[in-house]
Amino acid sequence: MASATATYAPMKPTKAGFEETHEQIHKIRITLTSKNVKNLEKVCKDLIQGAKTREIKVKGPARMPTKVLRITTRKAPCGEGTNTYDRFELRIHKRLIDLYSTAEVVKQVTSITVEPGVHVEVTIADV
Amino acid sequence: MGKKKFIDKKKAATFQLFARDSSDPNYSDAPGSDKVFVRVDNNRVSFNTVFDEDNHYYGNTQYNDEEDSIFADAPGDDGDNDDGYDRVVGNPSGTDMNEKGALPENVRREILELGFPDDGYNYLTHLREIRNTGGGSAFYPNPKFKPNQLPHDVKAYDASRVQISNSRGDYNEKSIYTVASKTINVRMQKVVDPEVAALLDDSDLSRFGSDVEDLEEDFIVIGNMAEGEDNESDKMWNLIEESEVTNEGVKDINHDSGNQQIASEEKNHRVEDKPRVRRLLDEQFDILELQEYGTDDDQYEGYIAEEEFLADKLKNVLNENDMDEMELDDKYKAPADLLHGSERPKSKEILDSAADILRRCAEYAEKYENEGNNEKMVIVEESSDESEQFDCESIISTYSTLDNHPGKIEAPEVARKKKLAETVSGALGGKNQVISLRGKEKLPVDFLPNSRKATTEKVKSPGSCKPEQLKRKPNRQETKEEKKERKVAVKAERREARIMKKATKELYRSEAQQAQKVAAIAGPSSIRLM
Repeated sequence: MASATATYAPMKPTKAGFEETHEQIHKIRITLTSKNVKNLEKVCKDLIQGAKTREIKVKGPARMPTKVLRITTRKAPCGEGTNTYDRFELRIHKRLIDLYSTAEVVKQVTSITVEPGVHVEVTIADV
Repeated sequence: MGKKKFIDKKKAATFQLFARDSSDPNYSDAPGSDKVFVRVDNNRVSFNTVFDEDNHYYGNTQYNDEEDSIFADAPGDDGDNDDGYDRVVGNPSGTDMNEKGALPENVRREILELGFPDDGYNYLTHLREIRNTGGGSAFYPNPKFKPNQLPHDVKAYDASRVQISNSRGDYNEKSIYTVASKTINVRMQKVVDPEVAALLDDSDLSRFGSDVEDLEEDFIVIGNMAEGEDNESDKMWNLIEESEVTNEGVKDINHDSGNQQIASEEKNHRVEDKPRVRRLLDEQFDILELQEYGTDDDQYEGYIAEEEFLADKLKNVLNENDMDEMELDDKYKAPADLLHGSERPKSKEILDSAADILRRCAEYAEKYENEGNNEKMVIVEESSDESEQFDCESIISTYSTLDNHPGKIEAPEVARKKKLAETVSGALGGKNQVISLRGKEKLPVDFLPNSRKATTEKVKSPGSCKPEQLKRKPNRQETKEEKKERKVAVKAERREARIMKKATKELYRSEAQQAQKVAAIAGPSSIRLM
């Protein structure tokens, strides 16, 4: 019945035989951003591997479009000479990983060595 | 679209992962605990999760600072008061509202002590500990700093060691010597070695004096009396000694005399342990002083009477020599002028002395001049032109390189003339009557000594080139060998041209030199030859 189920806290159906009683499952989104793709991919891979080992429902990594910040400047410090330009760019890569689990587990998952330059953000919401 | 979001950010708590501060007690190098999650959002959501357990430390400090900050009493961004927030660790909540209003008592006391106003602001946050770190500035405590300072209009001296004389007001107050008597020399603190101080204070330097000290001081007197008037000198000594004795006696007896008072006061003013022993120099000084300034004051009359004859004696000693008198005339006169000048009659002595001086000068000059005649005479033989015959060596050695360039020792003139005659005759008998001037120097090429060869060569080479030029193929189709041949021919041509150019250049240059030589003697300078 809908009313009966409504009184319970909304819980996502978990894998059979696996109950989390006193700990509440949250929706957790891990956002990874970096200028360095290699490190970023490595961290992603580690996170997902860790989550899968603990048999948590994982979605990801979702790759967001890369943001490119471009700066085009004159090469010369003075105005003399052929007008040559430098094109500098900064690429920001973003990955999203979604998990459904308790915070405890997530903490363990994220207790990996994070590569330098990778920024990690975790958002928790109630399921 | 209506795509359902996975997470509604407004209802979620967001944490960011940061590296943990190494001074944090929970810090360790393990992968799990060198990072920490820090909440970054301000939503009204509470999660009693493990994420925040480690953050108790951070959460408190981060958000309790807001109470003390200057924005503490500003209205919240949402328009709500702080009380609406849940009391969750990590939330900007209304915790610890007690100390918001007033500073703790001890803090207030300290602020007041330092001199800051008590207006509720914690000035202690701006204090800097005085350490020798950073900024290049260093604090050194000043050992001479005295915290108890007098007000600025008060000056204090340490006069504890001054000996004030028992002054009687009897003496004449008009005396100039009493002007400064009220001033008392104050000895300021000096850091001096006791030995050095003793030496400085020691006025009895007689032990450093020499036996002949007295003699040295009277050398003027003795020098002027060197003509055998020893009696006078003895008398002088006696007089001086007498005067010394009398002075002493006067000193002892005459206390009322102002001078004595002043002298003794002056002595006392020097703040010394024992009075200075009067020396001969002091006596002489006093005498002279009286002479100069004695007339200003009545009190000195006694003294003057006593010492008058001594003063005169000293003066007259110098009067012994008439030479000095002579020079005291208004105009300086040389001895020669004295002898020959007839302006006024002079004494025989003066004339004799002048003559003597002149004689002596002349003798000295002669002696001085004749000294150089004793040197050896160095005879330098000069070679005469006619006596010697030229030989190769001498010619080469005496000619300059302008005439005799080492690189160009040419054939003698005779042979050259012959050749020249040849060329000239050849040229004259030649083609046309016009003498063509060619080259940069505009020389008549035909008449030059080596010109025969040059012209013949020139005639040859253009001729040889022409048939080759005709040979050149009109179309561009030539084989490699033909191309090579052509290029070799061109190169040979160029080489020959170079040689030609060099030869003519040399030719012209030597001719130009010859012409220059001639022109230097005879020709006008307006002609530019080289």
